[in-house]
Amino acid sequence: MSAPVTEVVRAGAAPGEGGAPPTRAPAAGKGRVWIAAGGLLKLVGRNVALLIFLTLVILASLFVENFAALDNAEVILKQSAIPAIAVIGMTLVLMTGGIDLSLGYVVGLASIVSGIMANTWLWPAPAVLAAILVLGLAVGLCNGLITQFMRVPAFIATLGAGYVLYGLAQIVSQGSIINRLPKGFLAIGRTPMFGLPSAVFLALAVAVVFHVLISRTIFGRQLKAFGFGARAAVLSGVPGARINVSVYALCSTLAALCGLLFTVRVNAAQPNMGGGVFTFEVVTAAIVGGTSLFGGVGSVGNSILGVLSIKIIENCINLLGVSYHLYLAVQGAIILLAIILGNLTNRRA
Amino acid sequence: MLEPLVSMRGITKYIYGGDGRPLRNTDVKILEGVDFDLFPGEVHVLVGENGAGKSTLMRILGGVIPPDRGELKIAGARVNLADARDAREKGVAFIHQELNLCANLDVAHNIFLGREPRRRGLKDAGEMYRRSAELLKALSTDLDPRLSVARLSTAQQQLVEIAKAMSFRSRVVIMDEPTASLTKREIDVLFDLIRRMRSEGIGIVYISHRFEEILAIGDRFTVLRDGRLVGTQPIQSFEPNSVIWMMAGRSIDEMYPRTHAVEPEPVLELRGLRLATHTPPIDLVVRRGEVVGLGGLVGSGRTELAKSVFGARRFHSGDVRYLGRKTNGWSPARLIRAGMAYLSEDRKTEGLIPPMSIRENLSLASLRSVAKLGFLSRPREERQAGRLIRQLNIVARSSEQLVSTLSGGNQQKCVLGKWLCTAPRLLMLDEPTRGIDVGAKAQIHSLIDQIAGAGVAILMISSELPELIGISDRVYVMREGGVVAELEAGPELTQERVVACMV
Repeated sequence: MSAPVTEVVRAGAAPGEGGAPPTRAPAAGKGRVWIAAGGLLKLVGRNVALLIFLTLVILASLFVENFAALDNAEVILKQSAIPAIAVIGMTLVLMTGGIDLSLGYVVGLASIVSGIMANTWLWPAPAVLAAILVLGLAVGLCNGLITQFMRVPAFIATLGAGYVLYGLAQIVSQGSIINRLPKGFLAIGRTPMFGLPSAVFLALAVAVVFHVLISRTIFGRQLKAFGFGARAAVLSGVPGARINVSVYALCSTLAALCGLLFTVRVNAAQPNMGGGVFTFEVVTAAIVGGTSLFGGVGSVGNSILGVLSIKIIENCINLLGVSYHLYLAVQGAIILLAIILGNLTNRRA
Repeated sequence: MLEPLVSMRGITKYIYGGDGRPLRNTDVKILEGVDFDLFPGEVHVLVGENGAGKSTLMRILGGVIPPDRGELKIAGARVNLADARDAREKGVAFIHQELNLCANLDVAHNIFLGREPRRRGLKDAGEMYRRSAELLKALSTDLDPRLSVARLSTAQQQLVEIAKAMSFRSRVVIMDEPTASLTKREIDVLFDLIRRMRSEGIGIVYISHRFEEILAIGDRFTVLRDGRLVGTQPIQSFEPNSVIWMMAGRSIDEMYPRTHAVEPEPVLELRGLRLATHTPPIDLVVRRGEVVGLGGLVGSGRTELAKSVFGARRFHSGDVRYLGRKTNGWSPARLIRAGMAYLSEDRKTEGLIPPMSIRENLSLASLRSVAKLGFLSRPREERQAGRLIRQLNIVARSSEQLVSTLSGGNQQKCVLGKWLCTAPRLLMLDEPTRGIDVGAKAQIHSLIDQIAGAGVAILMISSELPELIGISDRVYVMREGGVVAELEAGPELTQERVVACMV
């Protein structure tokens, strides 16, 4: 590589120095109000996930009996840990403008397979963990390669893959649920630490790693650029195909980890775990966390706030003794609302 | 004196800013005070360089966009066209260069799209096919109205468009470069048709770059330049050299700096490169410290050539040799690492990531240089951004400002800055000054000269002839996917010669 161009750049100050740089006309009164309003909107926009979370906490504390209690907070944390891991993978995929609808079915397959490994084949826990992660990785690579190189839209590719996995999980399980898993295996997610199960800290660790990956690394920057404008990114040297395949690979790997952790939590391996309901919950959480369905926008922290928010809603529905199905309806409404709001703001821009 | 079918007076169209509001206070307008008349039974040819305002003027007549100022009369009555449909109902048919047919429907359905004949509220297919056949027969073609449009040749599709125009009983037909993709025989058929329409008193506006066609079919011609009317004359006074002067002849009042010197080593060599199956092989060379211009009309293959070199497009055959190595099939990422850069003509979707900041855009193509072991160093990135903002004179509040909020000129400087960060050996510039103001243009011209002076090889695509001629050491002219001329800088490199090669 030669250095000359940096020299050019250094010398490049010359041409413009003759004339004063054009100055912006001062904003008119009306314009200034708009700018202020826009700034406020931007501030809210950046922290919308936090705002939703805090609003829900306050409302629930005020109006839902037994919500504001330490052991209830612990329940919410425990319930959020596993979806928090899943939402990170989904956020990566959504940031490319894709979606992974197979996520919940990976959970089911990972659950039953981990049960068989631990109970029938008597594999030690670390081996099961490693094998399950590899299983997820393999599924994700398939998803990624199909969407990238076979030109199948992510929506269809992952939905199809999901059903394949669901069918496989049912066949593997031969219709039975595996209970009473070995202690060593259960220790992966159940070891108490500071009064909470290890799954919570596992989720925290995954979150920190992926937060750094997204916000501090070349990969993260390229992912964001690719999500905002794939063509410009690729023409700037961003390896689009590699990024597109990696996000599905990472998403399914994390989903497989979720399958294992769910199995540990309920002490039962079953093929019906996760499924479409879980996928939908994770997508909802990501959207509540401000992740854009059109790519580019997404953050680990906000997506996790999204998980906490919808888990608070679920928790309240439980505490109020309302039908669990209301939770599903609320999720659907949230997704629709988010998309409509997104479209409205896009139209204005 | 016959009353004109169309009379346009003082038509003005402003440039629109990013916020969708017209910019009234700039000197640059898309159209300024243009007058245009069309009489019954005449073929009125509209000529001008790319960006002269021909299409905009016709889009106004076709109701696609409204004028910002000026008056439009059709058949003597003042009209405000609401949209293209309104224009069509008032007798103006616009046949676009890219034909607007539904490939999945048949000929008759396309002709009567959205207004299929009805009987008792239901579509009367029989009537539709009968009337379509009549229309097509009147055009002396035996095209079957039941054929799917997807199976038609471009010429046949054009016939369908014309039949559609006739079905509206249009009195004004606008044809935007109708012969661009037709063969010689198809052109003859089209011209017969145009003559027949003319004899029936229909007025035809004909946009074309091809002088021989203009002479063959036109009655009068109008020249536009930089959004202004240069003149309207009868075709008898159409003399290619003077028309070229009318089209391109602007005074070269800008001075183009030239401090760089060409060195002998080739950086890019194309050997027998064929862009597509039907295009001729191209040989081309760009040397260290050399600015090579690539002229030609839109669609002549200039952008395709640059993208083929940059690995962003597949080409048919031949070799790309870059720094002595064959780089056929390399990805843009790999070529960028080897020091190749391509500034796209499409800033918004191929050059920049508008929702990202200046800092993030500047470093995008050279992330490794501001990172350690894959982790980005924010301070290094900020220093780099600050330096480029100063040196390229990018007008912005801070390096965190989103690129989407910058003016065109400043956006272009960001793209240029992005490539400078990669320490390029070959810089391909595709319309580097399109859509930016005069001041920024001069700065970019000066930067190009300095970059070449540092030993970078530059391949510059430009539709602006003064720029092309002013900066380049050599100019290749492209036409229909091949290089048709190579002109050295000097007395023989003139706008007239370049245009003569282009058309």
